Amino acid sequence: MAAVAVIAKPLAEGMRQALVLTEDRLGHYPEFRDFFVRTFDLDRVGLTEPGFVRAPSGAAYALVFVGRSGEPFPSGLEVYAIVEALEPLDDTTVDKDLWAILGWMVSGVGAPWTMEDLHATGRLYRIPAMG
Amino acid sequence: MIVDPFESLDGFRSQWPFAARYARVNGWRMHYIDEGVGDPVMLLHGNPTWGFLYRRVIPPLVNAGHRVIVPDMIGFGLSEKPAREQAHSLDGHIANLAGLVRQLDLRRLTVVCHDWGGPTGLGFAMNNQERIRALAVMSTWAWPTPPADFHTRLFPWRTMHAPLIGPYLMGRHNVLAGRGVYLSVVNREQFRLEAQAVYEAVLPDSETRLLTWVWPRWIPLDDAARAQARFVWLEAALAKSQVPALIIWGREDEVFEVETFAKRFKRLLPHAEGPHMVTGRHFLQEDSGPEIARLIVDFLDRLGRA
Repeated sequence: MAAVAVIAKPLAEGMRQALVLTEDRLGHYPEFRDFFVRTFDLDRVGLTEPGFVRAPSGAAYALVFVGRSGEPFPSGLEVYAIVEALEPLDDTTVDKDLWAILGWMVSGVGAPWTMEDLHATGRLYRIPAMG
Repeated sequence: MIVDPFESLDGFRSQWPFAARYARVNGWRMHYIDEGVGDPVMLLHGNPTWGFLYRRVIPPLVNAGHRVIVPDMIGFGLSEKPAREQAHSLDGHIANLAGLVRQLDLRRLTVVCHDWGGPTGLGFAMNNQERIRALAVMSTWAWPTPPADFHTRLFPWRTMHAPLIGPYLMGRHNVLAGRGVYLSVVNREQFRLEAQAVYEAVLPDSETRLLTWVWPRWIPLDDAARAQARFVWLEAALAKSQVPALIIWGREDEVFEVETFAKRFKRLLPHAEGPHMVTGRHFLQEDSGPEIARLIVDFLDRLGRA
């Protein structure tokens, strides 16, 4: 699996953000929320800007963090593919990129969560991105 | 939007000849069927199924002189499917059932519970005991942590509903309604041919599959879990209850295995009949629908003679 990397805000000219994955409860297992706080310095950045990553296809993705009254920030996360403004998504590419982003997340969260368990789960349920 | 699960599945339609009915309950549109006459029996499904799970249980119960009500849980089947995780709670789903039962004014009601139909149906029953004639439980639970070793393991259970992974696997790829149920029946080839497409068809898009990863997150794994207090109450209420009860379990069930769950129900409800063992993994109705119906009919007949 090619690497996923945190990047600076990509150029927005001629592009749009296409919603591809939504998580309403990022802190269900708090270590997942902690990973994003740590990775994108969210205690300092807060809601001022999304996080951005480059996925294996070369496409950029915006991670938009969501706050909810009474819950630690961020409570939710929306993943947007940054695509050409007037062109449709390549859903197969997006799906592989999302799977890679999930792997990057699990690696960053760390033990007891493992890539082995993620991949075994993907194989068990025959996720196309597992090939 | 009202989904016709058989729109592109005409070969499957004959398995579900029942008239669709809808009720507004607790703010949501609930689909249910209401067949036959007699003392009512309500069949409750769980995650990620719908009333279709009971397609082979319904006719024998109706033929035996029972009125059979099968609601689709809000978020599943042909019922309304809220788009936000925060729309779902255990208490809210119990209230949904209360809304339907009171609208239909069901009394002398037998509640048959499977999977999340257990915590919801038993919760409703314990809060409305004056309406309840009997209970039947199958592959479910009604007490706080831990529900099962299966539910505490990272592979596959906790990984598959972890943040972002749950919406990806169960939302984008519908893995629970498809391969998940397939893996949890005994006769997988029969399931693939007769039913798998129907379960997948009622959850056609990511947004409609929300509850498939929300319910797993409501299973208490520690004392801080959201539903912990409700399960403590439910277990205590059942322990005091003398409502006649029936326990039916799948011999091959590895999600709620018999040694832990059926026997704990027997300790909790020592007056209950059973456990009666049938062929089945977690979705035992797929493998033993007519036998489950016969067990319920015989149980209710004995109650009627008592």
